[in-house]
Amino acid sequence: MAFQRAGTRYFAVLLLLAALGAVAWRAVRIEADFSAFLPPSTTPEQRLLVTQLREGLVARLMLVALHGGDEKALARASRALAARLDRDPAFDYAANGAIGQFAAQREVLMRYRYDLSPAMSPERFSASALRAALEDDLAQMASPAGVLVRDTLPRDPTGEFLATLRLLEPASAPARRQGVWFSADGTRAFLIAQTRAAGFDSEGQAAAMARVRAVLAEVAPQVQATLSGPGVFAAESRRLIRADAQRLGALSTFAIVLLLVFVYRSPLAVALVLVPTAFGLLVGVLVVQAAFGTVHAITLGFAATLVGESVDYPSYVLLNTLPGETARRAARRVGRTLLLAVLTTVASALALTLSSFTGLAQLGVLTMVGVVVAGLASHRLIPWLLGERVLDFPRLRVPVSAALANAWWPRIASLVAIAAAGAGLVATHPGWWETDLANISPVPVAMRAQDASLRREMDAPELNVFLASRGATEAAALAAAEAMLPALERWQGEGVFRSFDSPARYLPSPATQAARLHALPDAATLAANLREALKGLAFRPDAFEPFLREAAAARDAPLLTRAAYAGTPLGTKLDAQVLSLDGQWLVLTSLGGVTDVDRVRAALAALPGANTQLIDLKRISADMLDGFRREALRQASLGALLIFVLLVVGLRSLRRAARVSAPTGAALLLTVGLLVAAGQRIGVFHLVALLLVLGVGLNYALFYERPPADEAERERTRLALALCSTSTLITFSCLSLSATPVLHAIGATVAIGAVLSLVLAVLWARPR
Amino acid sequence: MRRAGLAILLLVAGIARAAPVFDLARLMELLAASPSGEVPYVEKKFSALLSEPVVSSGTLSYRRPDVVEKNMQAPRQESLRIAGGEITVTRNGTQKRMALSGEPLLAAFAASLRGVLSGNAALLDEYYRLALGGTEGDWKLEMTPIDEQIARYVEKIVVSGSGGRVRSIEVREAGGDRSVLTVG
Repeated sequence: MAFQRAGTRYFAVLLLLAALGAVAWRAVRIEADFSAFLPPSTTPEQRLLVTQLREGLVARLMLVALHGGDEKALARASRALAARLDRDPAFDYAANGAIGQFAAQREVLMRYRYDLSPAMSPERFSASALRAALEDDLAQMASPAGVLVRDTLPRDPTGEFLATLRLLEPASAPARRQGVWFSADGTRAFLIAQTRAAGFDSEGQAAAMARVRAVLAEVAPQVQATLSGPGVFAAESRRLIRADAQRLGALSTFAIVLLLVFVYRSPLAVALVLVPTAFGLLVGVLVVQAAFGTVHAITLGFAATLVGESVDYPSYVLLNTLPGETARRAARRVGRTLLLAVLTTVASALALTLSSFTGLAQLGVLTMVGVVVAGLASHRLIPWLLGERVLDFPRLRVPVSAALANAWWPRIASLVAIAAAGAGLVATHPGWWETDLANISPVPVAMRAQDASLRREMDAPELNVFLASRGATEAAALAAAEAMLPALERWQGEGVFRSFDSPARYLPSPATQAARLHALPDAATLAANLREALKGLAFRPDAFEPFLREAAAARDAPLLTRAAYAGTPLGTKLDAQVLSLDGQWLVLTSLGGVTDVDRVRAALAALPGANTQLIDLKRISADMLDGFRREALRQASLGALLIFVLLVVGLRSLRRAARVSAPTGAALLLTVGLLVAAGQRIGVFHLVALLLVLGVGLNYALFYERPPADEAERERTRLALALCSTSTLITFSCLSLSATPVLHAIGATVAIGAVLSLVLAVLWARPR
Repeated sequence: MRRAGLAILLLVAGIARAAPVFDLARLMELLAASPSGEVPYVEKKFSALLSEPVVSSGTLSYRRPDVVEKNMQAPRQESLRIAGGEITVTRNGTQKRMALSGEPLLAAFAASLRGVLSGNAALLDEYYRLALGGTEGDWKLEMTPIDEQIARYVEKIVVSGSGGRVRSIEVREAGGDRSVLTVG
């Protein structure tokens, strides 16, 4: 046999590992779109929410605050940065509040002023109305602000362009200094940049952020920038998760190796313990890649949970060897228990696999494949590798006070604690479920606080409430949105909300545009009216030739369409807020600073025949999480049932199955109780962590409950459990140090859960 | 010897005091020394859009340190008041207030009036490149906007006067239009 020599076997395994590693390195495509961890969307509203979260205007908005200079320097930096970013392919546009920005857009508004101006009426172009307008123009020319309108005056004496501009002015905007947006105290200049990359495209967002910093370093090296916004969150949280996972991963790996060295005092044993985990991870990742086409970055991050469990398997085998006994015999002895440990974890991961979150499904597959491979490797590969070789290591003694284990009061105390946790959870249900999608985001709290304060300073309200106006065609949807305008203005005046942004204002329905153009008199009439109006005024008779020419042309020109705005900020807005979804058209009007959603809902309901619906993103996201929770619980119950059946079959005893599952179930309950008592809300990441607690907890109980042949075997089991629980505790305590909410949630949950599982297993699962 | 030297020195210093060089610093000194007050003005607006210049008149007043008021009385009542960080325009009985900080053009306009009337060179330097010509009795101060945002609209402002008294303010717009305000 070629594998008769141990060296050949080690070499073959190393070669296989290297080959798998190389294949994984080449084949695995890592994807970072965080929405794989968003709940699946089923209703049109939910699809709309996900679209908005991923690609919507708000999701692609980057807030830039410049600081570290005096007012003039900051204003100069703001102008230079805006000019450069506006041309940059990574951005749709960059706004800094300066008048005269976006010349192309101003030209569109100017060209289509007679389609756009809400002041249009036939009387507006009568001789007397023109006379009043011209007198006003004359006064305007003499004022210091007159130079601003001087250029457009010959084209637009009636001021339709200015009326249009006024309409588009945001209800709230930052204060201006030096003509650009500034914080109230003048220490920070603000810009808003619209990225091309979707909000969840963390790599594209990171590139856009780097672009801002690079350009700023060129145009104003002494000025610093603070960046914020959903895209920045996506990029930053990815960076933080990666950095934390690497740092904490390295830390816990080091600690675990140290622990293994302390327990085994044999380099070979330590290396062997790591082999099944390595195989499990590599094969698992490759299977996920094959099944899903990509591997999500966060799935990889969660692989730590897999390591946490699979690293225990070889120890359950190795630490069970008697002095002078081969691993093969020990493996045969614990084989059945190990098989149950693996199968119960597979059952719990099955629940994840069925999840409609792509990210969770990936994690489920990774876990299932990983533990099966790691289990097989522990049970078969390690004994095969060692062959007849006997591993020699000192059997450390784990002192457990028999008095304590047999005492009655810890059991009573644990029962009381569990009853209290259960009662507390039932009493406060469902308050402790996470209902805000924003809170399951991986963004550190400090970053979100900074964003909130920046938004407050910029007077940029959070946009959570939209009105969706529907229609079979774009024109019909626009008309429906337009019909809302009077009501919107009234409600704004009544303080129902602070601001609204309706696309119908800058893209009126074709009918409205036609009606406005119809208000323009024919060329001859307009010329006569103008002549009449100019009588006795100081204007030259031919001063308004451009006006006559353009008004005549406008009457016959094609109507304003979305295409006219292509490449301008308003074009970007229209593309995001006028959309075709499920065969109908939707026009989204965003409402800012809504104090009472129910009031908007009531006001909308009271409006007869409005083809417009309220869309409350917060409510939809809560509904989505609610749906997810029900799905997760259903799957978890199925998983739990499956696990119990496995235990009954595997242990061939209902009583033993109950003895094994009771401590774990109790530990889960107690863990949730402790987390909720500490003020945490239970979200999707906690559920993932609880599934892992279920996995390791059952392992502890299974091994502890195994009837030992003698006191020496009980001693060995105790050592194995001590090692396994300590390594789990180390791994996940490290993870809980992370500032990233996801990693912290998983770390803290598993660390608490593992300790509780062990304690309860020792107290309850003691074989009789 | 030493006493004689000192005498010559004092003499030279005295001459220097009696006939100072006429430069920007000196002009600002003169302007700063002139009292607050109110003077009548006539303003003519020349524009390619107009067949004849539009003439308006009223009073221009200045109160230290920074309040400038222009009250037009003909052909209609209209007032413009710059005070603190605001400019207030009253026309047809309606008041419109604008923050200077928000609009660089208005800020530059206010700075030109306040800077000249109070003799504040630092304020003028912030917005304009200054060129002074003429003599103390008949000087001309040309102010060219530094910021291109302002230069897009205003080519230059030319102020002329005699001693601490401003005689006329001419604003030349980038498009060729101009207005000439004459005091007195």
